[in-house]
Order: sequence, then C-alpha cells, then structure tokens
Amino acid sequence: MWVLAFACTSGLVAAAPKGARKGSAPDKKAAIAQLAIALDGVDDEAAAKAADELGDSTEPAAHDALLDSLAFGLRAPVAVQALSALAKHPAPPDVSSLERYALHHNPTVRGSALNALALYPDPVAHAAVVQGLHDPAGVVRTSAANAAAKAHVREAIEPLFALLARGEESAARALAAMADADLVRKLGDQLGKVPDASLALCLGLVLRRPDFGPDAERVEVVRAIGKITDQSAVNALTDYIDATPKNPPRQSRAEAEKMVEARISGGAK
Amino acid sequence: MKSRGHRLALVLGLMLGLGCGGPVFRLTSPDNDRTALTTALSHRALPEQPAPLNSSRTPRVFILAAGGPSKQLIAYDLQRNAILWKQAADVQSRIWVGGNFIVELEAKQLVARDQQTGAIKWQTAIPGEFIGATADADRAYIAYKENASTWWLAGYDGSSGKRLWKADADGILGAPMAHGGIVYVPYNQQWLSLIDGRSGAIAARIRGIDEGISMLRVTSRVAFYGSKQGVFRLDERSASGKRAESSYGQVKVPPQLDKTSYGRDTYDPVQNAYTAADRARILYAAPGEGMQLDAYAVHYFRFVFGFDHTGALIWAYSNPRVELVASEDTGAAILAISQTGNLVALDPANGAVRLDQNILNGAGVGSVLGATFDADGWSPSAQGEKTETVAALVSIARDHDARFDRVKELAVQALAKLPGGEVTQELLGVLADKRAPQHLKDVVVDLLVARKDPASLSVLTAQLAAHDDFLLQTEPLALGPVAKAIAGLGGAKLDPAAVSAALVALQSHLDAPTTQVADLVFVIDAMAAIGGGKERGALGSHLLLYHADDDLGSDPAWGKAIVLALENHGGPGERELLRQVAADPRTKPGLVAIIRDALAND
Repeated sequence: MWVLAFACTSGLVAAAPKGARKGSAPDKKAAIAQLAIALDGVDDEAAAKAADELGDSTEPAAHDALLDSLAFGLRAPVAVQALSALAKHPAPPDVSSLERYALHHNPTVRGSALNALALYPDPVAHAAVVQGLHDPAGVVRTSAANAAAKAHVREAIEPLFALLARGEESAARALAAMADADLVRKLGDQLGKVPDASLALCLGLVLRRPDFGPDAERVEVVRAIGKITDQSAVNALTDYIDATPKNPPRQSRAEAEKMVEARISGGAK
Repeated sequence: MKSRGHRLALVLGLMLGLGCGGPVFRLTSPDNDRTALTTALSHRALPEQPAPLNSSRTPRVFILAAGGPSKQLIAYDLQRNAILWKQAADVQSRIWVGGNFIVELEAKQLVARDQQTGAIKWQTAIPGEFIGATADADRAYIAYKENASTWWLAGYDGSSGKRLWKADADGILGAPMAHGGIVYVPYNQQWLSLIDGRSGAIAARIRGIDEGISMLRVTSRVAFYGSKQGVFRLDERSASGKRAESSYGQVKVPPQLDKTSYGRDTYDPVQNAYTAADRARILYAAPGEGMQLDAYAVHYFRFVFGFDHTGALIWAYSNPRVELVASEDTGAAILAISQTGNLVALDPANGAVRLDQNILNGAGVGSVLGATFDADGWSPSAQGEKTETVAALVSIARDHDARFDRVKELAVQALAKLPGGEVTQELLGVLADKRAPQHLKDVVVDLLVARKDPASLSVLTAQLAAHDDFLLQTEPLALGPVAKAIAGLGGAKLDPAAVSAALVALQSHLDAPTTQVADLVFVIDAMAAIGGGKERGALGSHLLLYHADDDLGSDPAWGKAIVLALENHGGPGERELLRQVAADPRTKPGLVAIIRDALAND
C-alpha cells in the first residue's frame, strides 16, 4: 500500500521503463536507476527533482543513490536538495557525507547540510553543528543554531551564548528552544553581558513555550525579564500576556501585567 | 747616516725647485714619485702600536650635545669612565683632536681648547670660506678658500695659535687630515698631496689614475684614501696611482645600506659638521699589511652589521629606539654613541656587546649631535659577552620605523640563512605583523620558500592552527605563504610524525569553506609535496566535491593545482578518478581540458 502510494506521489511510476509491472521490485529498481541518472545529469532542475523523489523513497537503493551522487559531487543547487532528501530517512552512513558538505564553499549548501545534521544523534553530527556556529557566514550560523535547537545539542550552548552576546537572533531563538530551568537561570545571569533586546527576546520566547513550566519557573523567567530596562522587555512581557489566557489565572501572567503597567505608568523601570 | 728629516728636506727641496715660484698646489707637480712618497711616509711620527692621538694616550671621546641655549662640548675619559670636562660652546663643526688640544669651529673662528680642561687656548679667524680643519700632536691646520679661485692650507702652532705657514692652490682643496706631522690634502678630486706640517711644503703627491680621491680616513698608524668605490691604504704602493698596483680594497655593501661610505667626503663642506653621513659608515680596521679585509662592519643609523670577507652578514646589532650618531673601529672594538648618550662597544669579530652604558646620565645635556673618538686600539675588556645576532635581526625586522624598510629586508634575508624552527617562527612573526610593510612580507614569503629547513615543518604547521572563526575572531595567518613554504620542503627528509601533523593541518584548510583559491592552490601543492601518498584521498574527495562547481570548478589555477597534484603524485587509482571526472558531463570544460592535458601521455 505504502509502496504504491509512494510510487505514485514520487513519480517512480512515471519513471519506470516501459513493460515493467507497476510497483514490482524491478520496476522500483529501474525507476531509482532513472532518477539516479537524472540526479547526476547536467539539468539542475531535473536533478533537484530527482533528489527530492529519491529522498521520498524508503528503498535503500534510493538512499544509496543519493549517497553515491553526493560522494561524486553535486552542483550547489542540486546538493541543497539532495542533502535535504537524504535526511528524510536518516541512516548512520549519511553523517560523513553531510559533514563533508557542511564545509562546502557555498554557504547555502553548508546551511542545508547543517539542517540535515540536526536529525542525526551522532557526536560527529553534533560537532559539525557546533562548528557551524563559528562560521563566518551569518546564514550558516543561523542554520547551525536552528540545528542545535532541533537536536538539543548541549555542546552548542556555550557558543550560542557567545552568539547571543553578539546579538544574533538565531542564538536567542535556539537557546529559548533548548532552555530548561537551569538554562533559564544561566540566561538570567547574562543580564548586562548580552544585548538587552537579545536577552528579552530569548526569555520572552521561553515564556511562550507551551512545554515550559511549571508556572513557578515561568515566574522566574518573568522576573528575569523584569530586570531588563530596555523597551524590548516590555514587548516580551506584553507578547506573553497577549498569548496567555486570563483563566486559569497564572502568577507569571499576573506578575508580567504588573511589570508592564508599572513601566507604562513610568514607575519602576 | 742622514736622518729622516734630512732626507725629507732633500726631497722637498727638489720638489720646490721644480715649482718655479707658482702655487704650492698646482696641476703640474711631480706625481706618484715612489721615493718622495716613501720618504714622506717614513717622516710621519706614528706610535708603535695603535693608540689615541692625545698626548696622554688616554682613550677619549669628544661629544657635541644639545643642551639649553648653547650646545655642550663634553670630553669623556673612556679609561676612567668619567666625564673629563663639559663646556658650553656654540660649536659649528665636528671636533678635531690634537696632542693636548682640540680644535673646532665657533662662529667664524677656529677655536682651540685645552684637552684637560676645555678652556679656550687660542682662537683665530678663518681667513676665508672654511673648507676644513685638522690637527696632529703639535699643530692645527685649516683649509679655506679666499676668493673664487684661490684655496689655501695654513698651519698653526697648537700651543699658541700662531700661524706658521700657508700654502696656496690653483684648484679645489678638500678638507685635510693630519697624520703624525704630515697633512693629507685632497686636490682637484684626483690628487692627494702630502704636506710637511712644519713647513707647508709638498712632500709627495699621489694622482689617482683609475679612481678619484675624495675620501680620507686616518687612524693612529694608518691612513686611508679613496672614493665611494673603494679604499686605498696609504703606503709605498700608492705611488702607482692604480688600484691593481696599490693596497686597495672594496667591500660588498648590501644595496639596502645605501649611501654608506668608507670615510668622510672631503669635498663636501656639510661634512665638516656631524651629519647623517656619520651614521652611514663602513667601519674597518687596517689589516697587518695590504688592504684585504677579513671582516668589516657597517654602521647604519640605529644598526651595526658585521660582514665577513665574502660580504656575508655574520652579526648584527640593533640599538634600541634611537640612532647611533657616531662610530669608529678602533681595531680592537667598534665604538658608537647614541643620541641619548649610550656608549656601545662591539666585538668586531662577532658583534658581542662589550659595553652598553649611558655615559651622559646626570650630565644635564640634551641629545648627542655627534662625537669624535680618539681611542685607536682601545676596547673595554671582553667578559664573555653573548652574541645576540638573532635577537638583533628580529628586532630590526619587527621595527616599525618606516625609514628602515629596506634594512628590514636585509635583516630577514640574514635571518633566513640561519637554521632552526626558532628562526622560522620569527619570520612567520613578520608575516603576522599587521604593521609590517607588504614588500617585506613578500620578501619573507620568498625566503620561507627558499629556506627548505626540515626542522621548521612543525613551526609552519603550528602557524596553520588559526582558521576563519566568527566567534574566536581569528583568521588564517599567511596561509598561502606558509603552505608554499611547506611545499618547498618536498623531497627533504622529514620527520614522519611532523608530516602527519602537517597533513592534518593542511587538510583542515583544504576543507575549510572560506579558504581562498589563491591559498587553496598552495595548500594543495603542499599536501602533494610532502604527503607521500597519504594526501591522495583528501585531494580526490576535494576534486569530486568541486569538479562541477560554478566557482572553484571553473578556476584554472585551482584546476591545474588539483589535477597536477593527483596526476604527478597519485597512482593508477587517481588517474582513473581523473578520467571519470573528465567524462562527467557536469565537469567544467576548463577542468576537463586540464585533465586531458595532464593525462595526454597515459
């Protein structure tokens, strides 16, 4: 059932040689072979489409075709697609290929590889993600930060703090996504060490995480935001108030309201 | 047996007899008369051993310094290590040392001062335009120009200042130099007259046949003359007038040390005072005989460089911060004094610092303008000083004074000739110095490549540790040059562990996303040069990754580097890989052509 559905949606059927029975093993093999040829062809558009289709396949041969093509070297626009395709069905051998492309001269390719590496619970993959946070290209650092958040790469926390200190929004978002109570305390300690706006953004995003709690921990976050004098703190609290229903009552929401009122009325800063 | 004086008188009589009453210095005089020259030279009262000229034979330096409204004239006793005296005096010239007096120019007066006290003994007006002055044990001498066409040399009694004689010239006289009773007087750029200091009569005359005569230098026992081209030792062979038949020498001075001279240009009136010319001097001592120098040094502003007879730089001294304003080779030491009054004594053989002491501390004087040493044969006692040539060369190379950019080139060239990783580290330091001039860096790169010092591989590898890193704010330091230098080690016997470490470091830059093509080419070359086959996998993977890339794949320099690395250093597997890449329709056409050329003989 799945094979048929996959074949229909992926175009494997259309790519099958004439005479081959639809959905049969030789059928799929031939289709994959056709896609592999397209992937290695000079037509970038067709190659990218083939990569996408191979990625959709659960056939080991399709995965192998992607790995083979990546090993032989793909042009940048095709590589971007092939890397994403490869990660659709992660397998341990993929990591070395992804790691290779995570250092590609083209930043877009590097970003794609890092995004893919987020799906691999492998120390080598994590190391590559951490290395991506050091990349001179902002687009790559953003991908690395996203990957670090997605894979919860603990080794990435320190460099993410360093990026937060430089005001990188992607670092704020990644840290917010990864934050637990302990990390929130560490974030609170960053007051004065990182730009106020970045810290407020980060803590505000933590507040809005539905999985973050209990409310006592949210209260700590609200209080940490309250120490930030920048207008961005008011914005973060306001966003939290707006996003949170009045009932059931939450102490964190109540404290946030008081802080916002006090700031607006010119009281406590 | 007739005395030397009688012989000289006889010769002088003969020569004056030929003069027929015209000027003493004139074009038509007997030249290059060996007998007259020998007699004149033998008439000089010279010490048996090199010694100071002053009557007490005490090594001294006479210093002219700025200080307050007037300049300060200071006599310093090098033996006792003490200031002998200090006098305020508006001195307009250098200082010439006599027996118990010195002479110098103040306003338009030649002033003689007592050497023990600095008090004025006598003074006399310069009768015309001042050309130069000199002194010996008993007399002072002035050359001057009276009108547009008449030059004079006059002798004065050193004790009283009484003029003893004067001799005229129908051509240009240079600044004279006295030497044990004989006065050497350059004439019309081509002649050197030897004048009897007692009478003013010409004792002998040398005509330079294949080299002009504009330079003079005397030590206590030897006189030198010549030009910027070379230097003659004044001896009996000088009668030939020719380089080949005289005691003549030339030393190699690196082009970076331009404007250095063997001695004062006697025709340059500016050099009657202490000038920059005193800071760019070739320093040499007379060999036992002849003029073939075993070693010599060059004082160049803040620096002193020692050379062997082949012209190879063998030592260097760098004076911290300020220039050395005067220097002298006493035969036993090279003495120099800095603008701040530091007296430096160097071992002429190896540059070891025998003395480095401020002799004007507390003297209340300003910067030193110039100095005259009267210390022939003297040196402070040697005490096993260390030679710091590497440190001196590094100091010069790292100096940020833009005036000495060419000297820095000389320093790095000399450094590069020394073996060892420490030196390589210092050369790399120049590359890492953001304030170092680009031309100097280019020179260093060439030197690193030419160095081929296997011991430097680990140092070069360490230099590869830095990468482009946004968080650490680092970037590779001289990646291309370092890789080029490593490539230069190809074929040398290298430590396998060092090679492995170097390959890892090089591959990190091969794989790094931000390595520029210009550097990448050298990285590839370096890996191929030292890898011994271990690099093939990394280079093959690199080729595959970028063979169809719009940027790298189309770059001919990159293509040539990677293809040749695999073709020249690879085996059958690498050649098959190249064939497959060439057959791939996505491979950039330029790269295909390079591969086909490389494999043409297969």
